[in-house]
Order: sequence, then C-alpha cells, then structure tokens
Amino acid sequence: MPDAKITRWLLAAAAVLGAQGATPGGNSPASFEAKLTPDQKIEQALNRMTFGARPGDLDEVRKIGLEKWIELQLHPERIPENKALDGRLEPLETLRLDSAEIYKQYFPRYPAAMLMMDRPMNLNELLGAELMRKVLNGTAEQRLAALKSLDPDKRTLAVSMLPDTVVEDLPELKKERDAARQKRNMDRVAEQRRLHPALRDLLSDDQVAIVTRGTTEERAALLASLDPDKRDKALFAFPPNALAGMPEWRRASAMMRFPQEVVLDDLREAKLFRAILSNRQLQEVLADFWFNHFNVYEGKGQPDRVMLASYERDAIRPHVLGKFKDLLLAVTRHPAMLYYLDNWESMGSDIFDVGPFAPGQFGPVQALSRMAHGLNENFGRELLELHTLGVNGGYTQQDVIAVARCFTGWTIRLPNQKPEFAYASFMHDADEKTVLGRKIAAGGGESDGLQVIDILARHPSTAHFVATKLARRFVADDPPPALVDMLARVFLKTDGDLRAVMEALFTSREFNSQGAWLAKVKSPLEMVASAARAVDADVADTYTLAQNVTEMGEPLYQKESPNGFKDSADTWLSTASVTARIRFAEALAEGKIPGVKVDFSHYAAKDRVEIARAILGREPAASTWNAMISGPAGDNMTAVETATLMLSSPDFQRR
Amino acid sequence: MLTRRIFLRGSAIAIAGAGMAPVWLARAAAAPSNKRRKVLVTIFQRGAADGLNMVVPFSEKRYYDLRPSIGIQAPRAGGGANQAIDLDGHFALHQSLQPFKELWENKMLAIVDAVGSPDPSRSHFDAQDYMESGTPGSKGDGWLNRALPPKQTDSSPLRAVSLGATLPRTLRGDQSAIAVGNLEQFSTPSATASIVEKMYATTADASVGTAGKDAFAAMRMLDSLHDSPTPGGRGPGVFGQGGDLARALQQVGRLIKADAGVEAAFAEVGGWDHHQNEPNQMANGLRQFSAALAAFCKDMGDRMEDIVIVTMSEFGRTARENGNNGTDHGHGSVMFVIGGQVKGGKVYGEWPGLEEEQLYEKRDLAVTTDFREVLSEVVAGQFGTTDLGRVFPGFKAGAPLGLLKTGPQAALL
Repeated sequence: MPDAKITRWLLAAAAVLGAQGATPGGNSPASFEAKLTPDQKIEQALNRMTFGARPGDLDEVRKIGLEKWIELQLHPERIPENKALDGRLEPLETLRLDSAEIYKQYFPRYPAAMLMMDRPMNLNELLGAELMRKVLNGTAEQRLAALKSLDPDKRTLAVSMLPDTVVEDLPELKKERDAARQKRNMDRVAEQRRLHPALRDLLSDDQVAIVTRGTTEERAALLASLDPDKRDKALFAFPPNALAGMPEWRRASAMMRFPQEVVLDDLREAKLFRAILSNRQLQEVLADFWFNHFNVYEGKGQPDRVMLASYERDAIRPHVLGKFKDLLLAVTRHPAMLYYLDNWESMGSDIFDVGPFAPGQFGPVQALSRMAHGLNENFGRELLELHTLGVNGGYTQQDVIAVARCFTGWTIRLPNQKPEFAYASFMHDADEKTVLGRKIAAGGGESDGLQVIDILARHPSTAHFVATKLARRFVADDPPPALVDMLARVFLKTDGDLRAVMEALFTSREFNSQGAWLAKVKSPLEMVASAARAVDADVADTYTLAQNVTEMGEPLYQKESPNGFKDSADTWLSTASVTARIRFAEALAEGKIPGVKVDFSHYAAKDRVEIARAILGREPAASTWNAMISGPAGDNMTAVETATLMLSSPDFQRR
Repeated sequence: MLTRRIFLRGSAIAIAGAGMAPVWLARAAAAPSNKRRKVLVTIFQRGAADGLNMVVPFSEKRYYDLRPSIGIQAPRAGGGANQAIDLDGHFALHQSLQPFKELWENKMLAIVDAVGSPDPSRSHFDAQDYMESGTPGSKGDGWLNRALPPKQTDSSPLRAVSLGATLPRTLRGDQSAIAVGNLEQFSTPSATASIVEKMYATTADASVGTAGKDAFAAMRMLDSLHDSPTPGGRGPGVFGQGGDLARALQQVGRLIKADAGVEAAFAEVGGWDHHQNEPNQMANGLRQFSAALAAFCKDMGDRMEDIVIVTMSEFGRTARENGNNGTDHGHGSVMFVIGGQVKGGKVYGEWPGLEEEQLYEKRDLAVTTDFREVLSEVVAGQFGTTDLGRVFPGFKAGAPLGLLKTGPQAALL
C-alpha cells in the first residue's frame, strides 16, 4: 500500500532532520576544534584523498583500519594497481612515447586533412617581395598597376587572396576579388568532396540518420557493416562527437585527419580514467594538484602540446610524494616549462654586443631583430610568484630580473624535433647577481639556476605558500592559519618532504574536524569522477566525460595562464557550472554518456532511501529529502530518477 | 524584431506548465512592452595588453628608440591600407584595429591612454583581482556587481550576465549574476527539474544554493527565449571574424535584442601576455578583438544609443622591448570606450611621455588616469549612480574626463 511507503519516507526524512548536520561551508575557528565521529573520519579521508568513494569503500577502510589505509595511500607503490585501468590506458599510446617519437608519429608535415587540397599558395610566393609590397602598401594606382602586370591566371589567383584592406577603397577590385574567391572556394570544395566524400554522399539516408541521431551501438554496428575502404572514408567524415564511446574508431579517424588532436585527447582521457579507476587515488589527486600548481598550457605552441605527456609523466608524477626541491628542479628543467614561460629564449642582454652581431646605431641589426637577443622576465617572475614564494613572499622587481638572469642559458635542444634540456653557456649572463639578498657569484654558469632553486626550495615563504595551497585543496578554502603554520614547519624541518607534509595534514586536528567537514565544493574533475565512482560506472571511454569537465569550467590542460585553477568555491560555483552539473547528472544516470555504462540492477532490492544514501555516501540534508519526497513522481520514483536527483543535489556538489 | 511582450507571453505559457512562474516574470509580462534598458558591457583583456602597441604614440621618436624591433610603423600620408591608423597626428591605432576605424570616425569610440591602476603590482593575478574588485591593493567583490542599480520588481534574472563557465570577480557580489557558457546548452533538464530546483531553493548551503537558484531563474527565462525565433538568426552572421570573444558578444547581443533585461554584461579575452613574438601574436589578437567589438556594434544597430562598452587590462607592458621581440610586465595601458552616447573620436588622458625620467620606475608607461575615473563616468552615465563611493570605496574621482554625452558627469562640465 502506497501510504505505508510514504510513511516510511517521511520517517526517514524526519530521522534525517533530527540528525546532526553541519551547515556546509560555514566554518568558524572553533569548528576546526570540533571532532568528527570515527565513521565521519573515514568518510573525510575518502572525500579528500580520493576522487570520491565507491560503493563498499567505507567498509573496506573500516576493515583495513583508517591509519593503515592512509599509510598505504602515502606509499602508492605498495598498492597493486587496478588491472582495468592498465587496460584502459593501453591504447593511449602517446602517454608512453618520448617527445621526439610524438613529433614523428603525431605531427606529420602533411596530415591527410591537408593533403586533400593543393598546398595553399600564399600571396607572397605568388607575387614576390617587390610586387607584394606594392599590392599591400601602395596607393590605389600602384596597387592596380601591380595587379595589371600579372598574366590572367596568376592575376585571378592573386586577386582572390587580397585582404580587405587592399580592396576596401576599390569597389571594382573588391567585386572581382569576391567573385574569384567564391570560384576558388567552390573548386576546392568540389575537389575535397571528390577525395573525401561527405557522409551523405557515402551513406544512405537511414545510415546518415544513425550517425547524427543513433545510439553508440547503432553507430558501431553501422561501421562494422561497411567494407574497409568505405569505412575509412566514413571515418574520415564522422564528426568526432559521433565517435564518442568508440575509442578505437575515434582514434583511427583522428589519425587520418588531425593526429595532433590525439595527443591532447590522450592526456585528458587518461586523467579521467586514472581519477575514476586508479587504486592509488591519493597519487592521482596529487598529480592533479601539482600539475595545476606548475601549470603548463598546451595551446602555448606546438612544442608544448608535444611535450605535455612527458612533462606530467617525467617531471610531475615521480615527485608528488618526494622532495619539493626535486619536483621544482624537474619542472624547471623540463622543456615544456622552459618553453611555456619563455625561458628557453631568454639570454644575457649583451650577448650579441660583439662583432657582426652588435646592434647598429638604432637597435639590433636586421638579421637579429626578429630573433631572441636578450632577457625575458616571464619565467623568473612566475617561479617566484606562483611556484615558490607566493606573491607576498617578499621579493622585488630587482629579484625578478636577477632570477631571470640566473636562468639564462637554461634552454631546449632541438625544441621542434627531439626536445631536451640543454644548458647553453653562450646565452648565459655571467655577471654577479643578487637574489633575495644573497650574492650569486659571477661565472657560476648553470649552477646559478641551481643555487636559486636551492634558495627557493628552502625558503620559509615557499614553505608557507605550499602549505597554504595544500591546506586549501585538502581542508578548506580559507584554511586555519594554525594548520598552515604547522604544515610549513614540517616542510622546513623535513627539507620539503612532501610525504611528511601530507601525513601531517591528514592526521591534523583540523583535517579531522567539523570545520573541514563538507567545506569544499568539488572541482569539475572531482564532480565527474566522483559521480562515476559513486554509481560504480563501467567506463570504457572518457572522451565525453572530459567534455563535461570542460563545460563545468575546468578545461583540462587548457588553462592558459600559469596560475592554474584556484581551488575554491567561488571559482567552481556559477550558474553555468551548476547547470552543467545537473545536465551531466541526468545524462550519467540515464546511461546517455557514450562509453559509460551504469548498471542499476543491484539497486532493485533497495528502496530509494538506501539508494540515495549509497550514492551520496552519507545522509542527505533534510531539505534534499523533503524536495525528493514532495516531487511529482511521488512514490513512484525509479532508481534512475533517484540517482539523477542525488547526483544533481546540492549535497553531492561538496566533498 | 522580437519584442519583449511577444516572448514573455510565450514564456508565461511555458512556465505555467512547469508550475514555477517567478513573480517578476508575471509582473514583467504585464508591464509596458519594449522597455529598453541601458546596458554596460565590460570586456577584460587578460594577460596585460600592450597599450603602447594598440594606441601607438608614433610622433615620438623615443617610442622607436625603445622598440626598435617591435615598434609599429608610423602611418604614411597617402600610403596603402595595411598600416597604422592615424588618429590625431600623435597617436595611431595598430593596423590590425582596422574595424575600429569606422567607430572612431563616427565618434563612437573614445580612447583613454596612460590609464591603469595606482597599485604597483606586476602580478597578473593580483592586478586582475584588484581591477575587478575596483579596489587597488585589496581584493573583494566586483565593482560591476556593486554598480548595478537596486533591484526592481521587474528586474530580470539575466540583468547581470557573464559569458563563460565561471563567474568573474568583476560580477561577484550581493546581487545575482549569472554565468552562461553557451545559451544553447543553458536549458532545464527534463523530468526531475522541479525537484532539483526545490533542493537548491531550500538548501541551508548558502553558496551552492544561490548558484542553483540563480541558475533556475535564468534557465526559465532562457527557455522562454529558446521558444522564440533567435534574433539575428543562428549562424555567425556579422560575428564570423572575432573568435571566442565574438561568439560571447553574439550571445550578449541576442539577449539584448530579445529585451531579456540585461543591464550589465561581461566577457573576457585572453592571450595578451606577449613576452615573445609580440608582433604576430598582437596582430592576430587585435584583429579578432576589434572585429568582435565592431561586429557587436553593427549587430546592435541603433541600440548602441543605450549601450556603453568599456575595455580594460590589468596593466600595460614595459616601454622597452625585451630580448625576445616581446615586452615584460609594465604599468599604464589603454582603455577603449564605445557607444552611441560616447563622445568619441578623441584620445583622453594626459600623456606622460616616454623619456627615461617620465617612465614609471624608469621602465613602464606611467599611469596618469586611474581606471576608476573611467569606470565611474560610465557607471554614472549608464546607471545614474550618484553614490560612486559605494562602487569604488575610498576613491575620490577628480575632474571628469567627460567621456559621455549624458550623465551626471557631463552635467558637471
């Protein structure tokens, strides 16, 4: 009888109402003194040291014992890795390649997508420098005369390429330009259609409908039914989103079209797979934290896209539980960072003051004016501001310049072929420098930079800055000063031993306090990974999940500025992000995310109270219960609806 | 053109179905149609845009001494089109700002040069936070949020809009402000929506709850817009050339043309931190930047009488080029102010000069106009704000620049 069921719901809701419920986000200093219950301590550890609890995690930690579990997470090498994860990472080949190999295999000179057309001729090649100058910068008469001197075919092609600025004051020429341009485009499109037919020329209407509106299974069946030649043509024409959930086909398609895209996709997909599947959860949380701390943007230029896999694998991951100084050195010497913050082309200001290189009366000689020929402050400043001391860490503009001078010569050998760190002594500013009041003697060469790293890695401001950021990530947006001071002391006492700092953090009073309980809003990555983990999703493809993370406001590997994302509620909470989170929750629970299967059959025996509790990992707030009970679905809510609601709830946005 | 009344009538029906018609909407539907509002559009150029190469002091020989490799060539009389645009014999616009030429000639574009923050920070992130807070030296809620007029019964949930997934500090504060990643995707999910809406409406979790409540109010409003024909059509239209900023401004334009009640809009464009290879990067960046803004003006047509656009960047760059054909972090920069009520065709602000002793700390263009002077005038002009001390606490505006034809500042002249 429905009445009995409703009564049970109401009783459950009343029980929740009566239960303790710290108001999320409201943390007074006293609240960091108030202890958590033993079960809450386990949930806290799972919420902060992992990307979210899976069903059964709580019981497992209870069984092992919390201390032992933390100890294991601090020593990831002692935890057997999830075999399923290894299987998912296997096809993501670029993760294992060195940068030279990525250049070779993924950055071909002419990808197929470009081969389909004649190599686009540019105006300069067509006209030569002299005519080019007249056409671009001449008076109207000069421009017309220059174009008249060309033979008709050449003229048509040249006219079609004229920029607006050349034709805007010559209406006749503009008309001719537009017509020539249109014809050229039509020719190109026809040629392109011949080499790479559109889907509608290749497939029947019904088949096209499957591509645009079908399910992943229907699309896979369609591809399997085509003969290999036709399938290749179809794959070339498939929009990438239509290949979500079919990672092998998507990779094959991208390799034909734009293999460069695969490199970024691999990184993003791996980030999601590891967050969702790894048994070494703390290691993954820290890899994400430290990558963000030492952020590098893939869009800076082609070399950074190529080198990012190595950067995360070789510079970040080995050191996340090691010594901060080793991490800092590995990051600073890595070509990805040297390129991103321009240090690779920074050099002493007077390097080219000699012989034929010397500047003329009015500045650098022509041959050098387009080349690097002096100092660049970019890396020096961000090393101090973002990587070590923090913006209020006590340095001046003069320190920025001195640090930049110390690192001159730290550069990249063959950045566009086989990038690796190189120290180029000829680029180095050999004079004496003063950094933070310390003399760096003249003639130190490469050791200048090493000395700066040494000074910075042991500096009390660095200890304080790193402690603040860790406490913000793991405890609260505005972490209690006493905790930060304690962590900074551990940092200094242990010579920057990050494992010791993490252990001190996890065993601190503040970490295990009511003040920290649900104090953090999940980042988009945490939201997506925790949802997949909470419903124990079977994840075969993370392409769409990575897009979900972007829509919520965290484009992975694409934060342009070197400060990374600030991990705080005001960064992550916006109307757009809440909307994207709710949309994602619904799609996940309804099984609409390609490559992500959710099996709710084991929920069949449970009522919604149990389902909700299982997904959230704790009791939902009374207001959340009440809203669920009073909904139009009333008592007939399905497991899918219950899951949608829990994943969408305000409660699930916190950890 | 779609009128307010038509889409509100459509939306009232849609909302009756959903059972959650917000009070403001019911009232607004009964209000006189076509209430056009003043709109302040704020554009942030993140990364410290190089003012000296956007607005080039070409008549100063010293400029070319400081920038032998990256200096922008002076415009030549009778020369071709692909060169800097002479404004007044002293300043020229970078050649990639061609789309601004018409706005300048129509006197819709004003330039404030040597403008910036009195705070000495050369940290992007501190300086952005200070500028967005409107309080140099300290960080807090955003100036644009404080600048919003008090909420009226017919104020729209879309009165303060930012384009992008996260809400910028400029718009954070007591007043509701929404972030929209993409209008097309900004719609309510299906069956369980009303339950989720109630969860966010009743939660004790203030910060999550507020974001959720604002999101649902905005979604309902936007759902009603989706039911209507899209003003200006769905293709890129005039916005084809301006990159992400153009896509953002196109969405702002759609909301404004639908009379969705926008009063303040924010969009940002990154990629101005030109420590190396500045000439190429700057040319591309400025081409898109100016194309986006010009397209917006064109799209808005005579509505530009109600709109003021103001642009800013956290600081400028070193007057001297660095060793990599770029510039490092500096001080003074440039703001553009665009609108039908703008007294354009003029470079405002006192020019501090580029001689060694005239430069800030002997390296950067000095700041002679506080960015808050500019913002105070546009806030007063657009919103009729008289209590500017609330918007920019601790700041006392000097003699007005007189950027706008209307507004209290103009009356003082």
